[in-house]
Amino acid sequence: MTLSAEVTERVAPKKRRRDLARYLYIAPATLYVLMFAVVPMVRGVWLGFTDTKLTNPSGGRFIGLDNYTSLLGSEAFWNSIRTTILYTLVTVIGTLVLGTSAALALNRAFAGRALLRGLLTFPYAMPTIAAVLVFIWIYNPSSGLFNRVGRVLGIGEAGWLTDPEYGLASVLIATIWKVFPIVMLIVLAALQSVPEELREAARVDGADALSSFRGIVLPHIMPTLRIVALLMTIWSIRRFEIIYLLTGGGPVETTNTVVVSIYRRAFSDLDLSTAAALGVFGLLLSFIVTVAFFIIETRETRKEASS
Amino acid sequence: MTRVKRLPGIAARALVVGLFVIIAGLPVYWMVNTALSTDAELYRTGQDWWLHLERLVDIPGTLSTVPILKWMTNSAVIAAGTMTLSLILSVLAAYALSRFKFHGKGVVAFMLFATQMLPEALIVVPLFAIFVSLGLLNELYGLVLANTAFTMPVAVFILKAAIDKIPHETEEAARIDGCPRSSQLTMIILPLILPSIAAAAVINFFDGWNEFLFANTFIADAEKWPASVGLVSFIGQYGTPLATVMAAAVLFTIPAVVFFLVVQRQIVSGLTAGAVKG
Repeated sequence: MTLSAEVTERVAPKKRRRDLARYLYIAPATLYVLMFAVVPMVRGVWLGFTDTKLTNPSGGRFIGLDNYTSLLGSEAFWNSIRTTILYTLVTVIGTLVLGTSAALALNRAFAGRALLRGLLTFPYAMPTIAAVLVFIWIYNPSSGLFNRVGRVLGIGEAGWLTDPEYGLASVLIATIWKVFPIVMLIVLAALQSVPEELREAARVDGADALSSFRGIVLPHIMPTLRIVALLMTIWSIRRFEIIYLLTGGGPVETTNTVVVSIYRRAFSDLDLSTAAALGVFGLLLSFIVTVAFFIIETRETRKEASS
Repeated sequence: MTRVKRLPGIAARALVVGLFVIIAGLPVYWMVNTALSTDAELYRTGQDWWLHLERLVDIPGTLSTVPILKWMTNSAVIAAGTMTLSLILSVLAAYALSRFKFHGKGVVAFMLFATQMLPEALIVVPLFAIFVSLGLLNELYGLVLANTAFTMPVAVFILKAAIDKIPHETEEAARIDGCPRSSQLTMIILPLILPSIAAAAVINFFDGWNEFLFANTFIADAEKWPASVGLVSFIGQYGTPLATVMAAAVLFTIPAVVFFLVVQRQIVSGLTAGAVKG
């Protein structure tokens, strides 16, 4: 992704018409994204400066920065920021560790590997809604799988989705379960680029599995892991369905991420303008992460190029 | 001797793989298991650990008590519309991004990438206001329009990566043979990237199939619900047996999983290509 302007060729008048044709190819998609993503986004930012209610979505008057200042002064807002960061961090680390381990385990050819890979892909491939329905039942306090196993093993039971101590952990378990396979698939593809001779040489030199992973495999898949970390981060900040449908932001706001609170503000409190102002902060969060990623990425590629 | 030495390694690997199979498979197994249990088992005695496969014959009967087929038809209509619109827009855009230099190319590429970090929950609020004034609420094609803004960029990434792989000489040769520039996309490029188009089609279709947030917000009429919204409407409602709900969820899941497994390779390359090059 480059933001720098493309070097434009000096064009002879005859080529003009052909250049115009080039824009005809890109115009539909561009206009489309402008209409259905950029315009709503700008409108969202604007809504954040008004006092619009859901009951009258096109009414509402300009009130300046009031929504933003009242958000910045509210404990609930900072709680949702903290929750989002915590949810994102744990999801990114959890999916990267689980996904990479699964990829490493599947990286050797053995009978039935394709079958197992397919099986491990199931959580990611299934619709989120279906996964949510299953997890609600698994977490059911009286008849759910978790508490039944807990009773059998004698470690007792918990209100997985209702106890403030477990709410976020339960949502995280469901999330990591749902998402780790895509990390596995991407890392598995990256592992194909690790030269087998290198690993063989390390083995002959007597390197153990861990040091061969650190010395040979990890440097090769590092660029991929960085991309995956970015994807996982952006997706986690955006994620809505799993959290909203499992806990609705509760218990006691413990899973009330920015995105969940946007939706609750808009469609439960009918307060479109505060929701929009929250959305601006949510977008800012994604944007900071993306910019940070590209700074790290350019620095790393420069380092790799110079070494 | 090396074989003996490696045996513990193989055992360790088998153990790890086995562990992952349990982690990934258990909730899926439990979903099917629940669908094959009775309410008495589920809420009183506890469902059996093994599958009551003999009850599979009853599934069509239980499913006919809920409008899951109607909802899945709606899902299919939304998905097909999203897929078609996404593909038309993305083929043109991917071709332009791969083959042409033009002003604002970087901006367009960034805009497409940015849609992927835009929370739908943020967009849904102003979009709701816009849809109210345009009269698009409660219409399936309104959903198609909203979905496409987020699914189309993914297709662009996949198709651009595919077109990038075709050497420019292919088009040079075609031009010398008399193929005009304006038909190069349809005559030369499209036939060569058919596998990637198929992959993008499947991905966009199931983005539309799985979508919940827009549908839940924009569609009030239960007749027009897609299966995602329909299934969620069962949560916390005790009129429908849980086994029936799970059976419907399994039915809704099967096409998504089957098609994902078919195109997983392209999904992986599309995702990483999109993140690297935007």
